[in-house]
Amino acid sequence: MTPSFKTRRRNGLLSALPLLLPAYAWLTLAIFLPLSAMVYFSLLSDIAPNAPSPSLTIENYATFFSDPLYATLLWRSLVLGLIVTLACLVIGFPAAYVLAKILKGRAREAIFLLVILPFWSNSLVRVFSWSMVLREGGILDTALNAVLPFEVTFDLIYSYPAVVIGLVHSYLPYMVLTCYLTLQAIDDALIEAARSLGASRLSALRRIVLPLAMPGMLAGSALIFIPVVGSFMEPRILGGRNGTLFGTVIEDQFTAVYNWPLGAALSFILLAVVLVILLAAAPVLRRTA
Amino acid sequence: MMRSSSLLSGLGRVYIGLVLVFLYLPLVIMAAMSFNASPFYQLPFEGTTSWYAALASNEGLIASTLNSLQIAVLTTLIATTLGTAASLALFRSDFRGKRALQALLFPPIAIPWLISGTAMLIFFFGTGIGRGLHAILLGHVALALPYVIIVVSARLQTFPRELEDAAASLGASRWQTTRKVTLPAIAPGIVAGALFAFAVSFDQFVVSYFLATPGQTTLPVEIYAAIRKGFTPEINAVSTIVILFSMGLMLIVSRFFRFAGDR
Amino acid sequence: MTKTMKPMLLCAGALLLATGAHAGEVHVLNWKGYGADEPFATKAFEEMTGDTVVNDFFNSEQEMLTKLRTNPGLYDVVMINAAFMRQALEENLVQPIDTAKISNYGDLDPDQAASAMLNEDGKTYGVPWTWGLTTIAINDKAFDTAPTSIREMWKPEHEGRVTIRDDAVEAIQLGALATGQNINDIKDMSAVETSLTELLPNVRTFWSAENDWNQMVASNQIDLGTYWSGSAGRAKAQFNLPVSLAVPEEGAVGWLDSFAIPVGSDNVEGAEKFINYMISPEFYVEWDQTVGAPVSASRRAVAALPEDAFNRRVMGSPEIAERVQFQQPITDEQRESYLKTWQKLKVGAN
Repeated sequence: MTPSFKTRRRNGLLSALPLLLPAYAWLTLAIFLPLSAMVYFSLLSDIAPNAPSPSLTIENYATFFSDPLYATLLWRSLVLGLIVTLACLVIGFPAAYVLAKILKGRAREAIFLLVILPFWSNSLVRVFSWSMVLREGGILDTALNAVLPFEVTFDLIYSYPAVVIGLVHSYLPYMVLTCYLTLQAIDDALIEAARSLGASRLSALRRIVLPLAMPGMLAGSALIFIPVVGSFMEPRILGGRNGTLFGTVIEDQFTAVYNWPLGAALSFILLAVVLVILLAAAPVLRRTA
Repeated sequence: MMRSSSLLSGLGRVYIGLVLVFLYLPLVIMAAMSFNASPFYQLPFEGTTSWYAALASNEGLIASTLNSLQIAVLTTLIATTLGTAASLALFRSDFRGKRALQALLFPPIAIPWLISGTAMLIFFFGTGIGRGLHAILLGHVALALPYVIIVVSARLQTFPRELEDAAASLGASRWQTTRKVTLPAIAPGIVAGALFAFAVSFDQFVVSYFLATPGQTTLPVEIYAAIRKGFTPEINAVSTIVILFSMGLMLIVSRFFRFAGDR
Repeated sequence: MTKTMKPMLLCAGALLLATGAHAGEVHVLNWKGYGADEPFATKAFEEMTGDTVVNDFFNSEQEMLTKLRTNPGLYDVVMINAAFMRQALEENLVQPIDTAKISNYGDLDPDQAASAMLNEDGKTYGVPWTWGLTTIAINDKAFDTAPTSIREMWKPEHEGRVTIRDDAVEAIQLGALATGQNINDIKDMSAVETSLTELLPNVRTFWSAENDWNQMVASNQIDLGTYWSGSAGRAKAQFNLPVSLAVPEEGAVGWLDSFAIPVGSDNVEGAEKFINYMISPEFYVEWDQTVGAPVSASRRAVAALPEDAFNRRVMGSPEIAERVQFQQPITDEQRESYLKTWQKLKVGAN
């Protein structure tokens, strides 16, 4: 619906300002100024209490480039983000498809709610719950061994797969949600028309459903990839000695090592890399949208 | 063809069932272990409710739970008010740069929390705003605002603009129109937005983690500290309560906001 | 700021500022489950002095220092490993202690009380509390006879069943012990690195709290690992876990824990009373006998233990004494290079 000419003239930026200002002032104070402060901080030299007063330097960025350790860790975090995103896509898309196209009525509504409910429960607690499941001698393998004729042991805790499982569990509902929303918007008649014209189920999926669902898949992927790349709590709880990642090193700079300028520089590098990846993906997103 | 499609839908149902098992199994196991007597999660299972009883005397957990609730309520009030006002303004007006202004809502959602959290830590610490509950509140409102604006704006899309014009032509003031016509019509959206804000704040860990100080922490931060410094089934007990609380809350939200769409 | 926002913020601020530290409370920063937070102790102290104990915990010495730096004025007492005292001093984080106000101070082992790590320019900054060993502890279920060499951790049969603490200094010093070097004067760093690189595949996970260790033993996930002497005693005494301490022939790392008063404490008097209670025989005997503890720095407190107590009989014996290498402070450069090395090793191991 387009506003009438009269309405538009009456409601310019000036009249909107009083209602807009509080929200944007708040965002400025809590998001935009802090981000600017972080950029400034990343250019400071040491801030230890006994150090000489800080001066501007690019040393912190130089540290990132001079020590391959940081690049390795950043790479590992990016790979982890990719693995988790792909796993969510592979598991989440079919689930969203079943919800949108196979289930109907109340059953669909109830199951949909069940799938996204965990998304609103505490993610920390959900990660913690996996440490109960994945441990050897835990409740799951004890229960399975009681009914299965052969011996099974789960011994995944403190490993890379444990981190992946925990993260997939955390972020899967995002993918189901975004894929569901786009799949639901696809008219069933379109698929049926293709089928009646002789397209196989598979080619209807490939030629019609997948392209139309692409925006949802990409949106879900972005929503998952971004936080996973910066994750530190999940690898700390589930990863054990395999849990050193870019996010944990950044956290260390702030909570333990007390090198905030380096932490800020590393954060900013992470942000830049994420933005570059998003920008690179933007044309694809626009084309399919 | 009929048979293959019913086979497919059967498989689909089984698949969804498996996904649900994946999503819920760890939570069920965690809850089960909160009723097990061994402090080291040893089996065989020995039933007890003593971990829940222990919660009642754990002052740190109780204090941080009250903090979490307090911050979530304040976040809800502030974010809903500011967010609804901004949504109305964006809905009613049209000006150059409106899209850019809308795009500015996304950083709080799109930037990794680790980065928002550390940036806030640096800024609040450096400017004397300091850390603690007030800083956590500042951060939570910023994180919740975009959600409120998105949800309320979505509801506004279904609101017939002519109603406002009609009320105005009948002589109602701007404020009367808003209060008597617009707000009641979009109330379900506002309620849903408010509950989103509550959930965002109550579950938030990362930003709170960097802004908390000893004595001024929230429940998730306290739980994380407990997990890192040695956890007991007491943590399972409090986690079980938190999970049930959040999920119950979202069940209520679902009555106001149809996630599954209207089709 | 708009009219509606201002009262709202003020209101929120008032609500939130209602909490905070005040006198009558002693804020203590320590490891979790390390004596100062024992319910019997906080209760007894409160009954004795009327001051309430408020505990906060750290995960590593690094985190402890950062908590002091970023929360000036919050803490009244902090537990500092003597080897880290110099760093705290250099950054002006702790203040001199008037030992005359601490009546049990005279019971302390004179050598420990006079330690150069805790005293500077004739002022005392740390009151020694306990000492103990970082050595190996074993899961009794995994061994018929206790191992005598630290190299046991490197054996292939323990692959994925060893745990060490995620701490750069402790890890490097472990490597030094295993390669027969002086932990305070490591000459051959590359040997240490090689040795740790060989060890890492055996490591199941790092432990950061006692509870981690105990849970892993309880669920039989590990055979052995580095542990602290007091903690191993606690695992056995309090939780009935199959944990035994072993002091290998290569030696063990000795540490001295002390209490200090942070700069800016608003309850120095309460802090002094608390430290005095922590080094008293009444506290120590109950701690060691009902919970499990390392060795007290107070001679009177150790003498008050039953004669067969581990901390009196074994830890006091000359055989142990000659195997212990006490940690000396390390320089900032060393610490940084240790940290880097350790990070590199951890990442390289995957």
